[in-house]
Amino acid sequence: MKATNMKKVITETRLLLATVMAVALFFTATAHAAAPGITGPTFNLQASPAYITQPDGSMVYSWGYGCNGAPAGFAPATIQTTFCPTMQLPGPTLIVTQGATVTVNLQNNLPASAGNTSILFPGFNVTTSGGVAGLLTQEAAPGATVTYSFVAANAGTHSYYSGTQGDLQVEMGLYGAIIVLPSSIPADCTSGLHASNGAAQAHWGENDFRLAAAAFNNAKACYDREYLFQFSEMDPRIHHEALVQVNATAGCAAGAPGCSLNVATEPYVPAFFMINGRSMPDDMDSNYASQYPHQPYNGNPHMHPGEQVLLRIVGQGRWQHPFHEHGNHVRVLARDGNLILSASNANDLAGPALFTTTTTPGQTIDGIFYWTGKGLNWDPYGHSNRADVPDPLAHLTCIPDANGYNTGAPTAINYYEWCQDHNKPLEVAPFGDVARGGPATLPNANILANGAWYGGSPYLGPNATVRAVGPTGTTPPSGTVANPPTEEAAFAYMWHSHNEREITTNNIFPGGMMMMMLVDSREFQIDEQN
Amino acid sequence: MFSTKPYHAWLPILLVCLAVAANAQSFRVQCPTTTVTHPTASNVEPPYTGATTFSTSSGGFLTPSAHVNGAIKCQQISGGDGFATMGDGTQTYMFSFGPLSGLADIAAGKPGTQFPNVFNTVYSGAPFQPGDPATTVLNGGAFTYNGAIGLVPNLDANNGTGTTGAPVDGHVDPRPIMDVAVLNGNIPAPLMAIDEDDEFFLTLTNVGQVMRPDLFEQHTVHFHGYPNASGFYDGVPDASVAINIGGSFTYYYLAPDAGTYFWHCHITPPEHLQMGMVGQIYVRPRQNRVPVGNSLYAALQQQQADLRTKCDSADILCTNPLPASNAVTRAASGKYAYNDGDGSTLYDVEYPLQIHGFDPNFHFVGMTFNPEGFTDMKDKYFLLNGRSYPDTVTDGPLATMTTDGSMHYSQPLPSIINIPAGGKALLRISDLDVTEYQTLASLGIPMKVIGINAKLLRDQSGNNLFYNTNSITMAGGESMDVILDASDTTKYPHGSVFFLYTPNLDHLSNDAENFGGLMTEVRIN
Repeated sequence: MKATNMKKVITETRLLLATVMAVALFFTATAHAAAPGITGPTFNLQASPAYITQPDGSMVYSWGYGCNGAPAGFAPATIQTTFCPTMQLPGPTLIVTQGATVTVNLQNNLPASAGNTSILFPGFNVTTSGGVAGLLTQEAAPGATVTYSFVAANAGTHSYYSGTQGDLQVEMGLYGAIIVLPSSIPADCTSGLHASNGAAQAHWGENDFRLAAAAFNNAKACYDREYLFQFSEMDPRIHHEALVQVNATAGCAAGAPGCSLNVATEPYVPAFFMINGRSMPDDMDSNYASQYPHQPYNGNPHMHPGEQVLLRIVGQGRWQHPFHEHGNHVRVLARDGNLILSASNANDLAGPALFTTTTTPGQTIDGIFYWTGKGLNWDPYGHSNRADVPDPLAHLTCIPDANGYNTGAPTAINYYEWCQDHNKPLEVAPFGDVARGGPATLPNANILANGAWYGGSPYLGPNATVRAVGPTGTTPPSGTVANPPTEEAAFAYMWHSHNEREITTNNIFPGGMMMMMLVDSREFQIDEQN
Repeated sequence: MFSTKPYHAWLPILLVCLAVAANAQSFRVQCPTTTVTHPTASNVEPPYTGATTFSTSSGGFLTPSAHVNGAIKCQQISGGDGFATMGDGTQTYMFSFGPLSGLADIAAGKPGTQFPNVFNTVYSGAPFQPGDPATTVLNGGAFTYNGAIGLVPNLDANNGTGTTGAPVDGHVDPRPIMDVAVLNGNIPAPLMAIDEDDEFFLTLTNVGQVMRPDLFEQHTVHFHGYPNASGFYDGVPDASVAINIGGSFTYYYLAPDAGTYFWHCHITPPEHLQMGMVGQIYVRPRQNRVPVGNSLYAALQQQQADLRTKCDSADILCTNPLPASNAVTRAASGKYAYNDGDGSTLYDVEYPLQIHGFDPNFHFVGMTFNPEGFTDMKDKYFLLNGRSYPDTVTDGPLATMTTDGSMHYSQPLPSIINIPAGGKALLRISDLDVTEYQTLASLGIPMKVIGINAKLLRDQSGNNLFYNTNSITMAGGESMDVILDASDTTKYPHGSVFFLYTPNLDHLSNDAENFGGLMTEVRIN
């Protein structure tokens, strides 16, 4: 393709993407994440083909696991709109309790020419019944079934994926996650700060979207909110070749001469980089959004200051991806469901604290993230004792607990504020009703360009934003506001692959392995249901 | 002709216009000499003798009452473009940051971060030349100025009485800024170093990209890894503000916990990072400032008295809790990588070392007026501090002649690791490659990994989790602190040479040329 043509194509696709994004943003205003899945302990799955969608408009022929009949249930129960299609990417998240005997019945509904398929459950001691012998495990022949059974011995996040011709079948989408909830919850998770974080959520009318109160039976593994992120990539050439060959062999009898695929899986040039089967901005649409019938899971994390947020991070596909969490570090609790503890004290963590959590195929990380604003050296709520500021919310108190946070009253709008910076000004001479006498002079707004997720002021939350810049806040010239100054005004952070090439979708920026994480002030209600 | 009445009516409007004009100056710098946190002007790092204590001010917020720790630091950088010289001699076009303060220090391979008395020094020598300091130095002159380029007394704030008494308040003359900054991009971007408890005023001045007049690129600074960052100063254009051409924006940071961080532009990251807008920043621990001979353990105990510097298992992200009680004291020389409380991160010399990669095709397309493809991006130059072997073992700054006909210090930071015989070197390694993982191995001297992602490797019980290895593997967006311990002078005698190199053997090349790439020397002096 000549360069001029390429430019035209990219320009058009960028315009298209802008349109798609604008539409997507319309939906994202209330779309949050959680870690949804199906419950067992018996799971009737199938491997089936379907088309998934990408934000550049591509429909990509893929294979995935899906439900073979209605599942035993969906979790968390607070998500009411759910479905489990015959094929989805990633496969259904299997949610079980530690100690349960898990049974997975897999039916192979892939095209006959795709041959056998199977599932591996790394980290578990699997027994099989039925099926036919394969290299790594028992396999389901086309149209047939195989049964896997294991005891969910280790809590935490695990992965499952095809054990048959993995270079093709995993690439085509045959992978998913297993979440094993601990069999008992430490008392610390339902008392103290975790209890008051829960009380704060309840006060603002927020439901509890957690699967459990702890990731493991360890007091350091308590959490207040959780998100699951599965990383994978796709080379569209492989999918196209598979489709061509499947069509060419349509209706062939399994095992008959010529009833097979011969798709080259190298050289490997992925063009789609996905989190939970979706590329940005699709990943920020809701869970179970109707426009993604085969990609039900999203990536759209929200949290309030002080909440301990469990990140369940899974590497799928075949490449490693450096997942960079803006805003703070992540304390690694466990790898592949194995807690990493101090050699001298089993109550203490020994995993690293990382700002970039590398995802590795077949590997999982459970980690805790939080954001409090500690150490900014200015009050992000814009509190002030200025007598000329009439808004009583500008004059709240901050009473530090033993760690310096305002946690005494879970109903306070500045619950979990970092008190050492309370009332401390940012700006030398602010325009609005926030503290003055600070270190920074903000430039004329004309030399700045505002982003779609910019809350409209340096401050956190609608109240502070309106006090700082006026009743409507500031908006980008595009008028596209994904974080409205008067409604949300969150601090927004990009969570993305830091192999930055991977935050593109088929040569288009932005896209790929990227999402925005929003730290919301208390007055914004986080609703993770759709 | 005019009645006085309309004049009076217009006067307030005129005054408002003047005030707006002064505030609306597009380029400006900020480096206050005092703040709430540092109420007394100081241009040194005070010794750490105890946690800061506070009292409540009339404004209702806490101000320090004793033990004011840290200082104010300032730096100015440009966002623009430039050219760098690759290991095979190719001149490569970059989108890039360049220095606009601390130019003499940057050219000497040092951080360009300055105390206010240096930053706020008004320049009074011969006019800057395009390419300075390279142009002046390569013509046999001396360049010693480390202040903010463009800084002039603010006549607007002086009621028209001339320069006498005009305040130095950050007002700048844009002409020297353009003279110095155009086509003056560096790879890596200007080095920054601050100390815990510092307030850091970082001004980004966007001078535009003269090679790409079709673009109107904004730039930002993302301080990668800053804990509890505010969305506003995080530098993500989608989530905050981005700085247009012709404008300056001052980022304000209280220095975060000690460690090796890095920074980069966050506009269209696959493009701006690949094109070269990547730099290094590290934060030195307050343990360095403990008076020689004092107990490090006691100093770490003192830090627990300020809730901001306290670190224990109540905070799940605390990684330097108190170690086992010990009697180690502040060494007479050397520095520490972290507030370890046991002296285990002591080193003699430190080297920031940034891993990066350039795809020459992408950079060529980036110099033309065409959009670049991302899927086929493939690095062919593998860089340590912007240099490939053999340039990695060249002393001093590398200069490149750009399209303005002037020499520019395009790659000021050497990547030779010089260790005094019997000493220890701290390698502050960061990776901003945008395409793939890279491995860096040490031949001869083992690598001791003491920190990852700007965090000490220590468990919640206080046990160090350091490990020895011969290689580290990193992706873009990661950092590590590695000590090369050459204290055994039998194994590592004076005059010996060892190598850091990549076992990704295809990365030991400079595009089509063999024997290059990601490799440098470790010299025992």
